Amino acid sequence: MRDKKKQGNKLVNKKDPAVKYVEPAAQGLNSKEQSRRDFLEGSGAAAVAGAGISAFGIPGANAQSSSAVATTVINVVVNGTQHSLEVEDRWTLADMLRDQLDLTGTKIGCNRSECGACTVLMDEQPVYACSQLAVWADGADIQTVEGLAQNGELTPVQRAFVINNGPQCGFCTPGQLMTATALLSSNPSPTAKEVKDAMVGNLCRCSNYNSIVEAIVMAGEEGGLA
Amino acid sequence: MSEFTREGLAPLSTIGNDTPRIDAIERVTGQAKYTRDWKLPGMLFGKVLRSPYPHARLVSIDTSEAEALPGVRSVITYENAQVVWGAGSVNGGRQYNDPTKEATIHRRYIFNNPVRFVGDSIAAVAATDRNIAEEALALIKVEYEELPFVLDPEEALEDGAPLVYEEGNLCPDFRGEFAPMISDIGDVEAGFAEADQIFEERYETGFIHNAQMEPRCSLAHWQGDKLALYTPSQGISNCRHDTARDLGLEDHQVQVITKYMGGGFGNKNQNQDADLVAATLSRRVGAPVMLEYSRREDWLGVHGRWPTVQNYKIGVKDDGEVTAIQMHGYSGMGPYRKNSGGISGMDAYGCPNRYREISPVYTNRTTSGNFRAPSEPHGFYGIENMMDEVAYQIGLDPVEFTLKNMRRPTEEQQFTNYTLDEVITTGAERFNWQARRKVIPGSDDGPIKRGAGFSFMMFRAGVGTSSAIVRVNANEQYTLYVGVTDIGPGAKTTMGMIAAEALGTSLSNVEVVWGDTDRCPYSVGESGSRTTIMTGLAVVEAAEDLKRQITDNGMPTGGDVLIASATPSPTTDGKTRQCFGSHFVEVEVDTRIGSTRILKYTASHESGRIINPSTARDQIRGATIQGIGQAIHEDLLYDPKSGQPLTPGYYRARHLTHKDIPDIDVHFIETDDGYGPFGAKTAGESGIILAPAAVANAVANAIGHRMTSLPITRDKILGAMA
Repeated sequence: MRDKKKQGNKLVNKKDPAVKYVEPAAQGLNSKEQSRRDFLEGSGAAAVAGAGISAFGIPGANAQSSSAVATTVINVVVNGTQHSLEVEDRWTLADMLRDQLDLTGTKIGCNRSECGACTVLMDEQPVYACSQLAVWADGADIQTVEGLAQNGELTPVQRAFVINNGPQCGFCTPGQLMTATALLSSNPSPTAKEVKDAMVGNLCRCSNYNSIVEAIVMAGEEGGLA
Repeated sequence: MSEFTREGLAPLSTIGNDTPRIDAIERVTGQAKYTRDWKLPGMLFGKVLRSPYPHARLVSIDTSEAEALPGVRSVITYENAQVVWGAGSVNGGRQYNDPTKEATIHRRYIFNNPVRFVGDSIAAVAATDRNIAEEALALIKVEYEELPFVLDPEEALEDGAPLVYEEGNLCPDFRGEFAPMISDIGDVEAGFAEADQIFEERYETGFIHNAQMEPRCSLAHWQGDKLALYTPSQGISNCRHDTARDLGLEDHQVQVITKYMGGGFGNKNQNQDADLVAATLSRRVGAPVMLEYSRREDWLGVHGRWPTVQNYKIGVKDDGEVTAIQMHGYSGMGPYRKNSGGISGMDAYGCPNRYREISPVYTNRTTSGNFRAPSEPHGFYGIENMMDEVAYQIGLDPVEFTLKNMRRPTEEQQFTNYTLDEVITTGAERFNWQARRKVIPGSDDGPIKRGAGFSFMMFRAGVGTSSAIVRVNANEQYTLYVGVTDIGPGAKTTMGMIAAEALGTSLSNVEVVWGDTDRCPYSVGESGSRTTIMTGLAVVEAAEDLKRQITDNGMPTGGDVLIASATPSPTTDGKTRQCFGSHFVEVEVDTRIGSTRILKYTASHESGRIINPSTARDQIRGATIQGIGQAIHEDLLYDPKSGQPLTPGYYRARHLTHKDIPDIDVHFIETDDGYGPFGAKTAGESGIILAPAAVANAVANAIGHRMTSLPITRDKILGAMA
């Protein structure tokens, strides 16, 4: 598990809290649906090259039987609470949070590292929870959008989102808030440009970008997370 | 920056004040429940099998291995589940018309044979978890007979082109006749005869996926003969009616619940195939079924703005008076006619001679349908680049040219009010148009060139029927029942603010009940920029009725309540009601690499009285940014040899990110024309109508070459400069 977790952390740039886009393994027009685990662990690209036409999961000769699903017990802290969970090895961190812990604030927009709606903090770094396997979270400290407000008290960035109309449809909002939280931890008073640089991995199709940036700058001016 | 000019408007108590959304706390704490967040006891998961081919006949399907997989509860296919999706294909794209849906020639089913695009549905599985459902899809054996396919709408109309339907590739109109859509006003040939100069050009626009952040999903749950449908809908009343009709039920047998939903921009006005597939699976297995689409399925299986070809011919006198406008257009609808395929814009000009002929065409690309201002952004791009070019060719400032030629009120057709001159001149001043535009396009020295562009529009703001119910209890607390959902613009809050204003109470004293057809009356749906004005007017009328009851009877006591409902049918007394806008943009083009950067953006609008300034501002900013994406980035490209889509998904469509976003200066001139709730007009679609036209005009002004194809990607700029 350790090795895999390390590999997962390659998604994170320790110096810069921005979630970076990670180019997904080339999925050609005839790409074959890989198991999530194969894909995330990097063996996907090789298998894709020789696959026949099956853009939508048409017959795969090697379909796994569900009875063969492997599981692992992991220990993970989520929003300050210690959990010991038996997880299927193919589950993503997003699946685990949403399905096992009922923390549905973490949204799945693309399930392939494109949109950032699923961003959570893993050991204080923003990661795409759709692209981390649950087993890689063994020993980690995870914070989700549900863990921001304490005792009903919103954080400054949450308050700023309320005041400055940060959410439109609101589906990207949890991810935007988590990346913004990481940014404000390392840079309590970011400029608009620094906010844009850090938030580049969080898409908003309502395109409410101006208001989101204004809100984060406003939260910084109010003293970051202090 | 945003600013509101309210000269002559009396201030109100609640309306006009920046107001946080009434559900903002839920949205920032992760408590807001979207469809995929629901969990019902015994819930199964559904997945859809889709065609990997652009056009193929299904020779056979074998589901036995899939059915034998432990955990699989049901497999339904084109053979054993033939449910018509009435809103999926309609003669003439008439999405709200039941008789037309009944008479539709090329009906669409939840599963289709032949399959007509990469992503067309074939079968679906319900299983105890989503991984098993996905495994089961891989065990379904389908034998395909590949058929010839066609991707380009003009090629599709040529003799010998592969046929999507045997009757031909021109889509039937609402009468079921295979004819183009024609608008013929005045005498266009006489207009050309009168002209000193004639200009012709061809414009093309791409496919723009709605790409809302929440992928399509639907949770169906039958209790006896009643279906509860949890689904991300833009219009719960329309969704209920469509679903009931398609499943052979009465409206009251369907309950549609949309508490929160992650955007739509026009792809969720009616019921969706996901709703019907989930309902069919759920009925077969006797358990709730959550049907989920992946992002790729959503991209290809739902819909986006139709790609177009627009051939213009303009007649103009030497003094700049336009005497004739003609356009022959083609809209690529994919293989199903969900919506109109319209190309608007030329009617914003006063020229008395206008001829428009649009052929909506079937192709084997993914389906086209409504995206925020369905007929406008691509159409305004075409006509306003055409006119911009004409203006520069005859040596006129495009703003002057527009003020001379734009449509104005006439004796025959009056407006409820008309502020377009003011909207344009205010925008020009705020932007400093005269200083920024290049009188000679492309005249900057060096490879990095700046230029400025302008666009203008008017857009429907007509009133119409919708409903609302207001209740007051003995504690003088009000409850507003409105069948709205909030797809992003803030309808729940807007409705609450209108109620508070009309009732003379505070917003905190009004509870808003929304998003549930069993609890709320009919509402038009969050489409066509209609909710604020139409449902808003119903709220005002119900509130007035309730106030009269309170005056007559006094406040209720004990457990009693007073209730008022209203379903007004307002008119505009024969006048046309429009909102107005103009955008000004400065761009910088690096002609060495073909990149376009937005330097300055000014959006000037009149949308009547503004209910909630911050959400109105963000409707304009968000829509503008979507329009900029349409102008310079987004498209869905296909491989012509295999018919496979190449650019589905956020990466490949290259949606704008935080780093691409300019500051956008929004200015509203506020008015009250006496119609609409407190004078409110439309705002939700306005911003996107103007952005592609303005950006493309600015690029042309910068580089001195007219860009006649959207998106204006780097290769196109390099090609133009070569």
